[in-house]
Amino acid sequence: MQSDLVLRVAGESGEGVITIGETLCKIAAREGIHIVTFRTFPAEIKGGSCMIQVRLSERRIPYHGEGVDFLICLNQDAVDENLPDLKEHGVLLCEAECDLPEKNPGWTVYKAPFDRIATREIGSRISKNIVVLGALSHLLSLPKETIEKFISEKFARKGKTVLDHNLDALQRGFDFARSHLAKKDSYRLPKGSGRKRLLMTGNEAIAIGATAAGMRYFFGYPITPASEIMEWLAAHLPKMGGMVLQTEDEISAICSVAGASWAGGKSMTSTSGPGLSLMSETIGLLSMAEIPAVIVDSQRGGPSTGMPTKTEQSDLLLALYGSHGDATRVVMAPTSVSDSLRVTALAFAVAEKYQLPVIMLVDQALSARLETVDRETVERLPQGSRSCASPADGAPFVRYQLGASAVSPAALPGTQGGEHMVTGMEHDERGNFACDEETHTAMTVKRFRKLAAIESDPLVAEFCTRLGDENSEIGIVTWGSSAGPVEEALAVAKGMGISAQAIIPRILNPLPHQELKTFFGKVKRVIVPELNFVGQLATLLRSTYRIPTIGLTKVKGVPLDPSEIVEKIVEAESTLNARSTRAYGRAG
Amino acid sequence: MEELDKSCEYLSGVCPVWCPGCGYYGILSALVEAFADLKLPTKELTLVSGIGCSSRLPYFVKAYGFHSIHGRGLPIAQGVKTANPELTVLAVGGDGDGLAIGGGHLPHVARNNVDITYLLFNNAIYGMTKGQFSPTTTLYPVTKTSPFGLAGEAINPSALAIVYGATFVARGFSVKKEHLKELIIQGIHHRGFSFIEVLASCSSFNTTDMNVARIVKNLEMIPEDHNPEDAIEALRLAADQEKIRLGVFVRHQRPTLGDKFQEMRRKAKGKGAGNMEALLGQFA
Repeated sequence: MQSDLVLRVAGESGEGVITIGETLCKIAAREGIHIVTFRTFPAEIKGGSCMIQVRLSERRIPYHGEGVDFLICLNQDAVDENLPDLKEHGVLLCEAECDLPEKNPGWTVYKAPFDRIATREIGSRISKNIVVLGALSHLLSLPKETIEKFISEKFARKGKTVLDHNLDALQRGFDFARSHLAKKDSYRLPKGSGRKRLLMTGNEAIAIGATAAGMRYFFGYPITPASEIMEWLAAHLPKMGGMVLQTEDEISAICSVAGASWAGGKSMTSTSGPGLSLMSETIGLLSMAEIPAVIVDSQRGGPSTGMPTKTEQSDLLLALYGSHGDATRVVMAPTSVSDSLRVTALAFAVAEKYQLPVIMLVDQALSARLETVDRETVERLPQGSRSCASPADGAPFVRYQLGASAVSPAALPGTQGGEHMVTGMEHDERGNFACDEETHTAMTVKRFRKLAAIESDPLVAEFCTRLGDENSEIGIVTWGSSAGPVEEALAVAKGMGISAQAIIPRILNPLPHQELKTFFGKVKRVIVPELNFVGQLATLLRSTYRIPTIGLTKVKGVPLDPSEIVEKIVEAESTLNARSTRAYGRAG
Repeated sequence: MEELDKSCEYLSGVCPVWCPGCGYYGILSALVEAFADLKLPTKELTLVSGIGCSSRLPYFVKAYGFHSIHGRGLPIAQGVKTANPELTVLAVGGDGDGLAIGGGHLPHVARNNVDITYLLFNNAIYGMTKGQFSPTTTLYPVTKTSPFGLAGEAINPSALAIVYGATFVARGFSVKKEHLKELIIQGIHHRGFSFIEVLASCSSFNTTDMNVARIVKNLEMIPEDHNPEDAIEALRLAADQEKIRLGVFVRHQRPTLGDKFQEMRRKAKGKGAGNMEALLGQFA
């Protein structure tokens, strides 16, 4: 039995494609199977093609899989668009009337009249997806009772008629498959550990991570693909005594965060590139006034409105440098859904401890994908809190004390004797505006010392990971969700007899210099895979460490494929063998 | 003398940066006297501002002050009040700050009925950048950036706030300090969003629009029998072109943003327990 199964459901938006995929995920997660999914979204509200790919595995998987084992197509367009991705011995389950190419490389094909069963036998065309689920439960030996339970939960509030239609649809799909589709392939659900896993999207993980970190004030403005963070929090944060406010724009959102945070509440906003652009000025204010804030940017194809429903990693330079002046901020990027939980909590810990804005970069693919998460992840989240003073009565409070520590204790409004000014202007230790030469230098240094302190804080130690063969001369540096395909590519390359290694920093400002310098000292080639055109991380690495990099960039609105990375590894290896080069020993 | 001492306790000791003859000195006096009358503890007093001459005010007051960026005082004040409803939160700013660059925030803070008091200092000019027209410039059309006159009509701040649904709208004048002090006290007492437009002359760049002699000659107090729940009549008074009306145009009660949050929390708790274990349950 195979340990991995890559399954894809494709059809038209509105046909219930996602419901099929999600139901499979829920069943599998309860069996303890590991899951990573990938979804595409049409830009249209109704109509347009959509698909969900689900990879199920016995072991932890970093990526949604390249090539499909089991393809389910609800219409002809879906067949035409997705059949090229079906593996040589893969399975196709499709609508009976679909035309297939004459050449069949070895596919097992099942056809079923889903449309006719739904329309004629049940009298409800929209129950077609449930008919498909019925057929699947036969073909993949899924527990039908569990599916029935899910359907009951999902449709109960829509009334008895709708629920009965759907239960009928499930039964009829199952019956049709049992009597007409004799199992000819060997694909099954992989074996689960039996230990139930949580199943959530990246956006949900961010919302959970923030809530667990104690965030209670969320201000935001709707934007694809980040809206689900605000939507989840709007439904659940008030239960925890918090609140969510949809503001008039992103500027109001980040400014409200600034106010709430200054007043002592852990606060957050989430947005996408266009919103982060609007927030730039306030990021400078947060930096200058030394106020904690967490800003999540779920990146999408840019610039401008770009491709709102497609993925990209092209806001790194904006996150690093956006806002005028020397504005300190921390930039983080989680690599997966469970990583999003941890890094979100880390973002709050660092923002509070160091009193500065933290920008966390995810992307559309990561935001939308479903993944299994171990419950323990939620129980072991990083923690950090704001240092607050107990002001002496009488003496004016010194908010921005220059001294041994990079961080000066705050006084929250309401604290006796702590009255003071915070300001976007350059200021002296008491917060009064000051434009003299010494003050501006001293205060700029104060703000940047915090970044140096973060780099060596044990809190962040585990957030830079190494993968692959630590003695290999081929190195990969990547960030965010591209880490998944990189991990997969390392395994593929290893299988081909090529060793390579990767380093994945979750904190991109300040960079983990020690780890990176050690890494660059060992490798002779540095490949930098990322989803943008100019090579934004590569640009940062070249300017920081003065090393040559091999760019691997892609702007197609979809994640990197491991094969694209493997190709680069192979290429790099051939140049390595051609002539020997010294390691980047003097990097940085 | 004793009263003066009390109000001085609310001064930080930082010397105002305003020009001699600036109308804002009168507003600062009225403000600290109002604080003294209300006996507000300075630790609970929070002043948030944007950018401009008026936005420098928080430096001069003993309180928790937040001098932010241009036009954004209101959303910041909204955040402060949300995270700590116990604080007395005031926002201050000018006509350019509140009606030009920050003009998009006013309707929303008003409709949300955020329980803060907003003083909009209206001097009908950009003073800090030395003499460009503002959204309220009317009688002084030739400024540094309008050498051939103004392109647009002026905004009437109080009329706008009434239309936006602010639950307390008043207009004061920096020269009439006692009256202004009373308006500020009423504004702070009011539960909900209080909007106070304060007319003040800029002694350096526009002495025409808010000319003290002209305002004194034309001002008229809002009649005592005006019903502050009558928004249509309030609008007529605020928009009066003949007379400059001073006093309270609008005052009515409806739930504040904080009240709404309480209600939402109550409803949400009816939908499920407030702990991580329960929240994670939906993903199992």
